[in-house]
Amino acid sequence: MKNKLTPKNIIFGLFVCFLPLLMYGLDAISLYLSQYDIYLNLPSGDYMLRIIVRAYLYMLLAIGLNIVCGFTGLLDLGYVGFYLIGGYTAGLLMARLGVTYWIALPLAIINGALWGLLRGAPTLRLTGDYFAIVTFGFAELLFRIVKNEQWLIGGPNGFVRDIPPPALFGIVFNQNWHNYYHILILLTLVIFVTYRLQHSRVGRAWVAIREDEQAAESMGINVSRYKALAFAVSAAIGGLGGGFVAQFQVNISAPFFEFWESILILCMVVLGGMGSIRGAMMGAAILGSLGEILRPGVIIPYQFGGARYLIFGIILILLMRFRPGGLVLRKA
Amino acid sequence: MAQFLEQIINGLVLGGIYALIAVGYTMVYGIIQLINFAHGEIFMFGAYIALMLITVFGIPFWIALPLSMILCGILGMLMDLVAYRPLRNAPRLSALITAIGMSLALQNLARMIWSARPLQFPTEALPAIFLSQNAISLPGGATLPYRDVFIIALALVLMIALNRLIYLTKIGKAMRACAQNQVAANLMGIRTNQVIAITFIIGSALGAVAGVMVGLREVVTPTMGYYKGVAAFAAAVLGGIGNITGAMLGGIIIGIAEVIGAGYISSGYRLAIAYIIMIAVIVIRPSGLFGKSTGHRA
Repeated sequence: MKNKLTPKNIIFGLFVCFLPLLMYGLDAISLYLSQYDIYLNLPSGDYMLRIIVRAYLYMLLAIGLNIVCGFTGLLDLGYVGFYLIGGYTAGLLMARLGVTYWIALPLAIINGALWGLLRGAPTLRLTGDYFAIVTFGFAELLFRIVKNEQWLIGGPNGFVRDIPPPALFGIVFNQNWHNYYHILILLTLVIFVTYRLQHSRVGRAWVAIREDEQAAESMGINVSRYKALAFAVSAAIGGLGGGFVAQFQVNISAPFFEFWESILILCMVVLGGMGSIRGAMMGAAILGSLGEILRPGVIIPYQFGGARYLIFGIILILLMRFRPGGLVLRKA
Repeated sequence: MAQFLEQIINGLVLGGIYALIAVGYTMVYGIIQLINFAHGEIFMFGAYIALMLITVFGIPFWIALPLSMILCGILGMLMDLVAYRPLRNAPRLSALITAIGMSLALQNLARMIWSARPLQFPTEALPAIFLSQNAISLPGGATLPYRDVFIIALALVLMIALNRLIYLTKIGKAMRACAQNQVAANLMGIRTNQVIAITFIIGSALGAVAGVMVGLREVVTPTMGYYKGVAAFAAAVLGGIGNITGAMLGGIIIGIAEVIGAGYISSGYRLAIAYIIMIAVIVIRPSGLFGKSTGHRA
């Protein structure tokens, strides 16, 4: 990711910036052609934009998970926990206390980071399988709490409804193209911060911990501190994703944050190749769109709803067997 | 009082079931240091296979049970052969991710085959002794169904048999040798891959029995492997992972804790109790209640 203004990069940048225009343009074209009885049968621009926003969101989450899984080499099976924290922090603040989004979002990030540290503290000594199990248990506990504690959430099954869209100077950001630019800005920010971290002293320390914790310690790296930092940053990004999704979805409920969501994000990171920002994004783009195509009712009939996750599971197995370094990156 | 007694009995039955599953986790972990996430799914397949044998093929229960054990044993062996054996020398993380992928694939395969709708063992096809109204009356008004007596007794018998197998037979000796040091065991002429395969077969067969036991008492669903599997894994951790006797005791403790927690605290947190115990054990005493702190922990 060097700062090169090559024609390819510029075209790509313009494409990303004007994607909503393209989508609505296609809408207009198919509407125009339908006057002459030519039907393109394209999905509507709004629908496509929602899918793209969701794919960007997964990219953001995959980058966040990649910090713990890829950089420090610890398997985090409970990433969805921070996503949940962010979602419910922002959702409850906005829907029940009427706090504006611009305050609720930072609070969601901070709360995510706090929980990341909280979970990190007892797990600093743990590695490998035990770390994975504790993270899994943590996310499951959070899931049970939002599912059961009605007094806190306000609805059964963790249901929070009518989360208001953000507004600024009287403009309400509730259109799909608003959300597109919204998540694009957040994603760019996250990529920038993570990239800078990766290529700094901190990032090198993380990789050193991944490669050999004891060697890193003996080279003077404060392993506990850097691990805690990784947990906090990763969790903060999860919280950010949750904060965004609360207003994007309007209603959130507990099943939205189930354990398998963690595994899906993990799949994305692994598919792209752990330890690479670009890999995490590619993985999210591939699996995110695959997930939409395989969504029950699109090409898979409803009664075979399990096929989607069956395919994800097989992808994980095959990847580990034939390409443990990920699809995108070739590991030397 | 009667209620309390019944809860304890329920806890014991559940504990016996957990113990049977936990043994599968702990045996595999003891030898190849892999948390076999898909073990819960084998247990679920055990229940479904027995159910299909009874309802679709009309096979009597007493034949369906061992048949399901054999089929699940084969399934477990295949799983090892296809997914885990090629990764024997790969980083541990790869094997763990494979195990998660396997669990995801098997659970959703079951959902595709049998749909998410809960199924039940047909009462007319079961031996009459398993019907819930056939029960021993205990003093104080509590009842003890014969079904539960059967489950506890079978679990106990299988546990003792496993214990004898591991400590008295040649293959048991080979397993213990592999658990201590696989390379050295291999150098001594033990075919480690064969021993690992047998470990998977035994663990999966015991898991299948547990699946049938759950089917006798509750419903069979594609997600049961996941929920019961995690609780059983907590039992294995509690007993000290790699320690078979520990897994048995851990199963009973988790079972009783879960039933008492669900009965007296909140039924919504039924599973959460197992998670809390599991996290507490890992954080406070990773070697478990009955495990000695070994050199090779995670």
